[in-house]
Amino acid sequence: MKMQTNPSTRIRTERRTVIRNYIRLYLLLIRTSVRSRMQYRFNFAFGTVLAAIIQLSEFLMVAIVLAKFGAVRGWSMYEVGYLFALMTLAKTLYRTFGNEVHNLERYLVEGELDQLLTKPLPVLLSLMPRGFRLMPGELLQSGAILTWAMGAMMRSGQITWWAIPQTLFAVFTGGLILFAIGMATAACGFWTTRISMLQNMTEDAAQTAARYPLTLYPGWMSGLMLTAIPVGLVSYVPALYILRGELGVWVFPLLAAASCLAVLLALAFWRFGISKYQSTGS
Amino acid sequence: MNTVMQSQAAIEAVGLNKQFRTPIVAEGKFAGIRSLFSRKYIVKEAVQDIGFTVEKGDFVGYIGPNGAGKSTTIKMLTGILHPSSGKVMLSGIDPHRDRTRCASRIGVVFGQRSQLWWDLPVKDSYDILAHMYGVADEDKRRRLAQFDELLSLGEFWETPVRKLSLGQRMRADIAAAMLHDPDLLFLDEPTIGLDVNAKRNIRSFLKTLNEEFGKTILLTTHDMDDIEQLCRRVMVIGGGRLTYDGTIEGLRREIGLPTEIKVTYRDGYRLPDAMTESSHMQIVSRSEDTLTVEVNRQEVRTMDALRQLGHWGEIDDVEMREPDFEEIIRRVYG
Amino acid sequence: MISFRSNTRLYLALASKAYARNIQYRSSHLLHNFASAAFGYLYACIWIGLGRDHSLGEYGTHGMMQYITFTQTSLWVASFTTVGLGIPQSVRTGQISLDLMRPVHLFPHLMAKEWGQIAYQFLYKSIPIYLVMLLALGLTPVDGGRTLPIALLALAGSAYMGICMGYMIGVSALWTTESSWLHWSNQALMNLLAGFFIPLQWLPVWLQQIAWASPYPFMLYAPTQFYLGKGNPLNLLGTLAWCIVLTICCLLLTRVMRRKVEVQGG
Repeated sequence: MKMQTNPSTRIRTERRTVIRNYIRLYLLLIRTSVRSRMQYRFNFAFGTVLAAIIQLSEFLMVAIVLAKFGAVRGWSMYEVGYLFALMTLAKTLYRTFGNEVHNLERYLVEGELDQLLTKPLPVLLSLMPRGFRLMPGELLQSGAILTWAMGAMMRSGQITWWAIPQTLFAVFTGGLILFAIGMATAACGFWTTRISMLQNMTEDAAQTAARYPLTLYPGWMSGLMLTAIPVGLVSYVPALYILRGELGVWVFPLLAAASCLAVLLALAFWRFGISKYQSTGS
Repeated sequence: MNTVMQSQAAIEAVGLNKQFRTPIVAEGKFAGIRSLFSRKYIVKEAVQDIGFTVEKGDFVGYIGPNGAGKSTTIKMLTGILHPSSGKVMLSGIDPHRDRTRCASRIGVVFGQRSQLWWDLPVKDSYDILAHMYGVADEDKRRRLAQFDELLSLGEFWETPVRKLSLGQRMRADIAAAMLHDPDLLFLDEPTIGLDVNAKRNIRSFLKTLNEEFGKTILLTTHDMDDIEQLCRRVMVIGGGRLTYDGTIEGLRREIGLPTEIKVTYRDGYRLPDAMTESSHMQIVSRSEDTLTVEVNRQEVRTMDALRQLGHWGEIDDVEMREPDFEEIIRRVYG
Repeated sequence: MISFRSNTRLYLALASKAYARNIQYRSSHLLHNFASAAFGYLYACIWIGLGRDHSLGEYGTHGMMQYITFTQTSLWVASFTTVGLGIPQSVRTGQISLDLMRPVHLFPHLMAKEWGQIAYQFLYKSIPIYLVMLLALGLTPVDGGRTLPIALLALAGSAYMGICMGYMIGVSALWTTESSWLHWSNQALMNLLAGFFIPLQWLPVWLQQIAWASPYPFMLYAPTQFYLGKGNPLNLLGTLAWCIVLTICCLLLTRVMRRKVEVQGG
């Protein structure tokens, strides 16, 4: 009598090996791209410094407004700083891993997507390891602002140490939401090829807007930012609870559910887009 | 899992069709906005009713003028494009329903684009690809050593891909496509833009892959030397349809290009007075002792032609030249 | 050194070609305008929201709406030039050594092309965006549009400076692969130091000093002040001075670049 392996178990083990392989692949990619970036040390340092300048000037645009007017719709300087830092961290998380999703237009225009379709992985998974972006400038800057803002609020007793894990959780779900928005936007490229204009609205403008409390905007606009392009869930909604104790603890399961739902919807849209993909003839 | 694999053909394509729909760009006022909502399309039939079978171990050339549908066919065979109708099976696997499983069994090279990581050294690309295809370390080392021997990859092992010459890049790319040891290899214009030397390198590697390792290869090209030196079988596509499928000799015959016969006579020759209307031979050039004629071998047997030439004088030497392949292709592309 | 006069025809042809090339895409650019106007509207919303709780100093909410309208409109003339005037691209393809060999100096050559681009952007981007934003915010042109001529004159100077900066950024591509970062940081500094979002007098003093030591204030802030009817015509001299300084920098850089290309052969 021989033991027969249950087919479903076998598929599960196979899938587990595939996932393990993929993670190993990704780690390898991170190692190699770090190494190759380090080969061009000057360029790397130069790019990092410039990225930091960009970040700094973006922050100054917010900080100066705060310094001049003190508070924005009842949100203190520290609170707005927190919004800004949370958004930047989430964006850094998204762009570190998902930069190539954001750059999909290049693949579509130059026909590189065809190459990816000949790989034994789902397109999204073979697209993401094409590039891994190190973003030390953004990380340092947003980390510093977050420390400054949260430090001040802790000293004044507005928040406790509990806010730290809560914030990390929000960074993670925020990164997922931004990734989902980026993926859905990019998927439009399967029809239109050009997506930079759309990204201007759904990514750049939306992220800029969500650095301020949403009460600043007319109702229809903040409504959009909580539903269709849910950037409000990245920093504003978590901050409402973490900093101001509004809403309730249910915010966290809500964020988890919303970010997963966003990713799943974007993924479904992405899949649909790929099935409609017309390669550019060469 | 021992699926029944032995009897299946490497490539089986049945009734492939592909239509592209491009929206009509509106003209005039508010054109941009109107074309967003417009539902009008131009339908272009890129490929129509193409079907063929490629057996394991075959080496097939796929030729045709630009825009005839070569690339579209290759993209359908490799699972990049979904055919509008028809079916593809690669060793019994449907590359569309089962794209990822199929992808790990085929190798694909696009001459115009690289699958390597642009700013990483060549060897890093192989490391990543090995992980992507789940190639064990020791297999990877063994195969790369083999490829190195055949393609001298060692010269540019540490060079970032963007700094490679076109010939080096192509060698690196073909090795990359073979790293997971697929049995079936698709190459879309692998020799495009290469110099004579680089072409020779690539060809001899492909020949080895086919003859010694038994790989099935399908390539598209515009270089007729590729076809002549490598392929046992040619398929010609024109206007989206398969217009010829067979051997190179067969293609020659089909086109019916004349064979050139050059005869040297021992003591000169004498032409009959009334030869023009009766003969299937055309005189191309003549000198004192030699006569060059063109014979269409579909109409006259060679022996008959020689017998007739013998009537005109005592033959010392005969040279026959088959039509140039380039010439054939010029006819095919029309 | 450079004979501008003899080549006037050529420069005109280059500019009109660049203009015509863009005309083909004007329908898709219309959508781009929508995105750009949305951005402007967003910035205006921030000021409107702030204006509800605070007085917005010498501008007032209405004045800030006008301010943002004009800066958002001006971006397409002063800031959104071709990345490095296309030099990074031609460095990558090796085209640059050919470009340097031509009997026309590279700087006026690329400048002529860029003027065509800017003319197009002014007509098909700036003007529609300006109109859309006026409508969306319910504004009318300041002073019935009487301030527009001098504001546009100053803006022409901004365009010239923008071209010079784009040229310098482009030339840097010979030394670094990261010249696109320079482009992006130039845009970021433009947002901050040129007073794109926040009027310069609201910056902290140290930052104001940095700003006024750079050409940036003359690129957006000065034209906007003219538009709002607050500018001192003497400021035009500042624009002129910076145009001259930047031109000299560009010409010097071209020499250095020529030597570099000759040494490494493109």
